[in-house]
Amino acid sequence: MPSAAVLGPMVLPLITAAVMAIFGFAGVNLGRVAAAVGGWGAVLALLVVWVPIRSSLELTLGQLGFGSAFDMRIDGVTFAFGLMIAIPAAILLTLQPRAWPQTVVAMLGLAAALAAVEAGGIVLTAIAGGTAATLAVVLLDTEDPRASRPSWAMLLAGWLALAWFGVMLQVGGGTAVYNAVPVATVTGPLFALLAGSAVLVSCVFPWRTWPAELWSRPSLRAAGVTVATLYPLGFYLLVRGYELGDGRYPHQLFNVALAGLGTIVAFAAAARAQAAPTRRRFLGEVVPGLGGFALAAIALGTPLGLVAGLILLATASLLIACLALLPDHAGIASLVTIAAAVGLPPGISFAARVVGIEATFEAGDFLGLIGVAGMATWATWMVGGARAIGLPGGRGHPSVETFPRISLVIALLMLAAGPAVAAIKVAYADPVAAEVMQSSAGSLTGGLVNVVTVSSVLPALTLLVPLLIFGAFVYAISGASTVRTQSRPALFKVPGAASAARMREALRSATVPEQYRSMFNLRGLETAAAGGRPLLWLGMLIALGFAVTR
Amino acid sequence: MLPESIELLAFAAASLVFALAFAPALAPRRALAVQGGAGLAGTAAVAAAPAFDLAVLGLMLLAVLQAAVGGKRTFAACLKAPGVAVALLALAALFARAEGPDLLQRFAAVGLAAGLAAAVGLLPYLHTFDPEEPIAASPVAWLAYIGPVVAAVIVADAHGLLTADAGAAFGAVLIGFGLVNMAWGSVGAWLTENTGAAWRYSFAADWGLALSGFGITLADGRRAALLVLFTVVLGRLPLYLVSGRSGKAPVTDRPINLLVAAALAGSAPFAGFAARVLLLRGATQLFWPLALVLALGMLLWLPGSLRLGRSLGIPRRRQAVGVALVLAANVAAGLYPLPLLAAAGL
Amino acid sequence: MVEAASGFVAWLGVSLVVLSDGRRGLALGMALGALGLAGVSLPAAEPIGAIALVAGGAVAAARRFTAGPAGWAVMPAGSTPRLVLCVAGGLLALWVGVAVMTGSGGALRFAVMSVVGLTGARALAGENASVVQTALALLAVAIGAGAGLAPHTLIVWTYLAAGLVAAAVTWLPDRVQRAA
Repeated sequence: MPSAAVLGPMVLPLITAAVMAIFGFAGVNLGRVAAAVGGWGAVLALLVVWVPIRSSLELTLGQLGFGSAFDMRIDGVTFAFGLMIAIPAAILLTLQPRAWPQTVVAMLGLAAALAAVEAGGIVLTAIAGGTAATLAVVLLDTEDPRASRPSWAMLLAGWLALAWFGVMLQVGGGTAVYNAVPVATVTGPLFALLAGSAVLVSCVFPWRTWPAELWSRPSLRAAGVTVATLYPLGFYLLVRGYELGDGRYPHQLFNVALAGLGTIVAFAAAARAQAAPTRRRFLGEVVPGLGGFALAAIALGTPLGLVAGLILLATASLLIACLALLPDHAGIASLVTIAAAVGLPPGISFAARVVGIEATFEAGDFLGLIGVAGMATWATWMVGGARAIGLPGGRGHPSVETFPRISLVIALLMLAAGPAVAAIKVAYADPVAAEVMQSSAGSLTGGLVNVVTVSSVLPALTLLVPLLIFGAFVYAISGASTVRTQSRPALFKVPGAASAARMREALRSATVPEQYRSMFNLRGLETAAAGGRPLLWLGMLIALGFAVTR
Repeated sequence: MLPESIELLAFAAASLVFALAFAPALAPRRALAVQGGAGLAGTAAVAAAPAFDLAVLGLMLLAVLQAAVGGKRTFAACLKAPGVAVALLALAALFARAEGPDLLQRFAAVGLAAGLAAAVGLLPYLHTFDPEEPIAASPVAWLAYIGPVVAAVIVADAHGLLTADAGAAFGAVLIGFGLVNMAWGSVGAWLTENTGAAWRYSFAADWGLALSGFGITLADGRRAALLVLFTVVLGRLPLYLVSGRSGKAPVTDRPINLLVAAALAGSAPFAGFAARVLLLRGATQLFWPLALVLALGMLLWLPGSLRLGRSLGIPRRRQAVGVALVLAANVAAGLYPLPLLAAAGL
Repeated sequence: MVEAASGFVAWLGVSLVVLSDGRRGLALGMALGALGLAGVSLPAAEPIGAIALVAGGAVAAARRFTAGPAGWAVMPAGSTPRLVLCVAGGLLALWVGVAVMTGSGGALRFAVMSVVGLTGARALAGENASVVQTALALLAVAIGAGAGLAPHTLIVWTYLAAGLVAAAVTWLPDRVQRAA
């Protein structure tokens, strides 16, 4: 396989965008066909490059000028995250009609996100990821400038922090290439910067942020593509963090802190979801909830936790496409989607959560407690899901962008994929563990039927297939008529939610008290500075002269 | 002539061509061509001067010629800051050459840095500004056309004039000026009432990065400074010209406005982000807390850039082509800055 | 002795430029300043350099004599701060140039420092085009004289350039006339 094939996944959307733009300026909208070619072309390119060889393929060209060479590669990690990004984006770009400028921007965003996961070094990842973030903001703002969008400052801060992390590795260790950084260079404080940037980039916070907020927009065209391309990137950084540290984080404290954060995020999302006033609002918390579970699993520091987290992320990525295509009105599609999202057996979400919680118990010590908290959180999701079935739909979004049957198919796929968790683990997640946890990845065994852990065996196929058949049988007999939808009260109200909102509003509307405004007279300050006052200039000169004598 | 200076002159020439080809006709093109060409020639003379004193004399002549161009400010007001700049540079040369205690060298360093700031029109030596003034007579000509070359010349000559200890003081003063301009410039671009003044402050903020880069006397600092000056001359200045500068265009939120805002804010993939990466690299090598301060300061660019990007309105026809060219050039330089840096011998 | 006297003359000239608002006062100050600077530069500049400085100063003075606010206007009302500036600036330049700085050429250092400092202040505070032009012209002569502190092979060109710039600054129009 020629090394240049590495460029395929990101170049194809770029070329498509260019062609669409040229035709668009000429007055011809190539529409969804071209978008499909670009999106699915990227997916196909990933499969074509990875599947035949299942080992790293790298392309290194010359220096770019900012301390990094043009270094792109496709390995197990790239493959996993590339599919996570490209598949939901391709689905949405194929189905949802858009104006050609928005399709072009979305394509460019997809290319940038794929470049971020293909980049062989941290600085290049920061540049590509920053580009994806910029394009996402452009896409969201041009669709609807009044609707919510991610804080551009927060996104920029995250990618700038990552760039600084990469630069510090270059200065301290001579390189920022993932598989070449000396382990000793990645100290605790440096890793804290990486972790912080990952958290900022995906906005994995306990409070409601853009991965949930975007689902409340009047239209979900831009929102779906944005969440699909941006949300996995923070997790990607944390996975690569293992590679930097030769299979582990610099200190176990990071494992505990990040796993704890993930659990808190999942629980906070569950708490908001079970108190949601509408189904749309409930479904908006699903992606952050799954992300929290995924973070808790990935951060455990064990190969089993890592693979569980990756499968959860992959589930979240499919759900992104599902949610964006789902109409707000009640129906079988909503019902099945909720079931798949909350982790009803025998779905893939159920299987992955089981593996993840098993991994926390195997990790032991404090992490075992996190597993208990994870179970409580899962139970809250179940309750919230049951309640959500009876909720009003929400304000609705344009029917032209909804495809309930496709949503239903995706949700059914997720429900039916549970028995295949072992096969998915082997084909999709194990290569990631082999890449970033080389010394301990050998503990992952079990084949295509079972998931074998240190202390037990999960016979996924034999356990979940009968459950699937049973569920299908029951539904076939009873149909949806036995599902009673009724409005139920929330299990509990989120404590402090109202006071937090009041505090935010107070901060936003804060002004300097009247009697102190003369001290903060910006206009006066500006006039003084820009007025060419001799005394000010002389004063500055004297101050500088004094300063240099110290 | 320094390769850096030659390259910056080339940037300035390119921006002049851009102004003639794409900017709205706010001034007769022939007059703009003559004034721009004269400015370019004068700047080239400053860059080509074989001795520091000749460069300072050239700077003075350039200032007087620029002040003679018809504008809204008085002749005396136009020459206030450049006159002080020339005086400071001359005093600095005197202190650097005279024998005596080491303190004299440090004062020379202060004089050179302050002279540089006054020549370009940065805090605290801001030139008086009228947003309605023609570009050739405006302080923006110093900030974005003449200033980059002048700065490169002064920084290069400073290394010849000053001792090692004083050179370190020179770098420190430049970094101090840089941080002040970054903070004030970015906040000013966001909060000031007049859009033309906001553009001026945005130039000052970018210069803050450039001065910090010059002050970090390592190779990465100089590379960062060159890239920042590229974004000033071939990014911010052309966009300023297209915006019409008066702030009277309707505020719009189209993709082009947001892309312009991203370019102005130094977001990836534009050249500003690559410059910031290089600056952080240099600062980390020198003193890592400086890199932290710079990184935090870089976040301040966003609000002002959004405001300026929206103030561009919807560029049509030639202006749209011009804006697209500027953005494309910035993306190319942002993703692959090596040719620019290699051409400047960096 | 000659150098000391020349240094004093240079200071006197620049003080006149600072204290005068009329073209005659400015012209006299320009001429005296250039003469004084040429005098202190003589050892380093040799005749040709000194002549270049004097010539440039003379041309600038002649121009100023014919264009600008009428009369002398030396020490008009409200010029006390300027007087204080001249005296204090001169004393400071004398102390720094002769006592703090070492080596020969004390008069040159004093003259250049006082002229540069005072003309810079005049340019900063001046509101009239003629005043600012004169200040800058004298500043150009001072820059040329200052090159004598570190002689190099191109120093003659520096003196010539200083003289030319001094002349040009005062002869350039303060505003280009627009056709319409």
